[in-house]
Amino acid sequence: MFYIHCPYCNERRSEEEFHAKGQAHLMRPANPEEASDREWGDYLFFRDNPRGLHQEMWVHAAGCRKFFNILRNTVSYEILETYPMGEQSSVLAEMTAGRERGEPRRAAGAVA
Amino acid sequence: MERYSVFGLIKHALSYHENWQKTWRSPTPKKEYDVVIIGGGGHGLATAYYLASRYGVTNVAVIEKGWLGGGNTARNTTIVRSNYLWDESAALYEHSMKLWEGLSQDLNYNVMFSQRGVLNLGHTLGDMRDIQRRVNANRLNGIDGEVLDAQQVKEIVPIMDCSSNTRYPVLGASWQPRAGVARHDAVAWGYARGADRLGVDLIQQTEVTGLNIKKGKIVGVHTSKGDIGAKKVGCVVAGNSGVVAGMAGFKLPIESHPLQALVSEPLKPILDTVVMSNHVHGYISQTDKGDLVIGAGIDAYNGYGQRGSYPTVEHTLQAIVELFPIFSRVRMNRQWGGIVDTTPDACPILSATPVEGLFFNCGWGTGGFKATPGSGDVFAWTLANGRAHPLAEPFSIDRFYTGSLIDEHGAAGVAH
Amino acid sequence: MSKVEVFQQQPSGAVAAESPFHFSRQRNPLAPAKGEAGVIMAERPFLTHLILRGTPEVLLGGVRNVTGLTLPQTPCSMNSKEDKSLQWLAPDEWLLILPPGSEFSTEKALRGELGDGSYAIVNVSGGQTVLELSGPNAREVLMKSTSCDLHPRTFPEGRGVSTVFAKTGAIIRRPDAQRWELVIRRSFADYLYRWLLSAGAEYGITTQER
Repeated sequence: MFYIHCPYCNERRSEEEFHAKGQAHLMRPANPEEASDREWGDYLFFRDNPRGLHQEMWVHAAGCRKFFNILRNTVSYEILETYPMGEQSSVLAEMTAGRERGEPRRAAGAVA
Repeated sequence: MERYSVFGLIKHALSYHENWQKTWRSPTPKKEYDVVIIGGGGHGLATAYYLASRYGVTNVAVIEKGWLGGGNTARNTTIVRSNYLWDESAALYEHSMKLWEGLSQDLNYNVMFSQRGVLNLGHTLGDMRDIQRRVNANRLNGIDGEVLDAQQVKEIVPIMDCSSNTRYPVLGASWQPRAGVARHDAVAWGYARGADRLGVDLIQQTEVTGLNIKKGKIVGVHTSKGDIGAKKVGCVVAGNSGVVAGMAGFKLPIESHPLQALVSEPLKPILDTVVMSNHVHGYISQTDKGDLVIGAGIDAYNGYGQRGSYPTVEHTLQAIVELFPIFSRVRMNRQWGGIVDTTPDACPILSATPVEGLFFNCGWGTGGFKATPGSGDVFAWTLANGRAHPLAEPFSIDRFYTGSLIDEHGAAGVAH
Repeated sequence: MSKVEVFQQQPSGAVAAESPFHFSRQRNPLAPAKGEAGVIMAERPFLTHLILRGTPEVLLGGVRNVTGLTLPQTPCSMNSKEDKSLQWLAPDEWLLILPPGSEFSTEKALRGELGDGSYAIVNVSGGQTVLELSGPNAREVLMKSTSCDLHPRTFPEGRGVSTVFAKTGAIIRRPDAQRWELVIRRSFADYLYRWLLSAGAEYGITTQER
């Protein structure tokens, strides 16, 4: 059972109020009519399916009805961060920066 | 290896059943095999069995990270049917159904296949039109099927609430009499024993950690017990397919979702068929032991946790209690989840890959158990011949680029 | 002044409006609860419901001038004064509830104030209604039906949330310490009415006509 923090309502609500809407940060090809079959197929059907950290879109369907992003571990189901549309994950950015500084990975990201 | 028979039973009774042979060996891996199969579930073991028994390839290893049949094979709700809408999938599942019908004799192992019939309920006019269309399509493909009205459904399942005084009244159903259930563990064990008898090495407790690819061609696998060479590799790892594809450096159009099921305390025989409802989202059957086996929908999010969410359980049990008010006081014994590999069109992927000699059999999503024999046979042919079996051709990964999808969301609508 | 055409959507003359509970009350007439009723349910029919959409910058001044209410910008809060209320629904969406019959005049006045800015005003009065619950067990009845935390510590007066309720959706609001309000869809009114009667039976539930 998830207890999800909606970044727009700024509070935690139960999973029932939300719907998962698939992978986040997908970019539609800029010129669809010029995209090859391969590019278009990749965009339509091929999704990341990581065993570990995953960025997803969810919608607060029964609440404010806004879409937002979640950074979640698909094995432990820990939600590391929720953040509004149009933004990037600060937790992921901090992990990358930490790895570049040579720090050990934090436990939650161990499977990533 | 000795055959199971009633005479064997009598013979072993004389020695107090203490001298039965082990069901299969625990071999040390060889240096190299003609074919290595990753994944020792039902599909992987069936592939190995048919490779050895039908296509003459016996230098085969099955590598399993846990124990045989310990993944989705042990976690599904054991429904077997073949009433799929499109010609491509109907052919594949019907091929499987025909193999089911002789499987216990073929394997010399009782898989407890029980053709008790499956009802797919319709609750709206739209449902009933879909059912009509699907049953007609099935008949054209030589698959048995009937459209029943509410009264006929009531005759088959008297305990079901078929009155009009429900939120989603039962208007009718599609009925496949040849469909039914089988014993999931027995299927895995029967195939394992059969494959082992023909010389296939079943290597358990060994995890594949990487693929050995040289110049775009597979030459072996890295495992937790050392490297194993292979001329061809078949990957049959269901929910973990994306992870293995990642090792080979390509992506699959697959997302892994939690799918859960639950069983009740054992009851006296009360339900002698399988009832499924896409619309209110639940399906139920009774095992020989007496437990009600109830299935739920998948959770909408990706997950490898092998557990499902509570709202889904609640939703499913509401549906079951609405259909069967008599079950409202039945207590549930256990609840668990599996990882299902879902594709965008709810059809499997039986395909060559960008890596030469590496083949994938995955994407069975919520309904792979019923396909175990057919999937194994078709995939074994594919591995033996190095190209897709005619039944597997439409299920190549390329369909997601050419656009020739086989949309089975209707027939596969309820997870099972 | 805005260029958008606004027209009177309320029928005039002899056409009588019916509350969404009209048939519910006929089919399920409620005997007064024996002894002290734990829950008192009352509909507040025919109120003016307007959905305002836009950024706070665009809406704030005009809304205050027309209604006398400040646009709440804290999530899940509402500002009310007498029989008017303005509730936050989303960062760019508010629900304005006013006395019956003021849809046309309010929308006209708002468009006059807000001009041609980027915003939307939608009259949803016919699509939803307000159900008021009071009495010592009102909160218990609501708690049975939603996963939302209704404890006074997390649900103080002046809070309003859109959430799941009895397998459907509803807005739950707490205008003051005594009363709870449900803003519900017209098409779910009969279902929710009967749901609440059933949920409230153990406490003694009665309805109050206004």
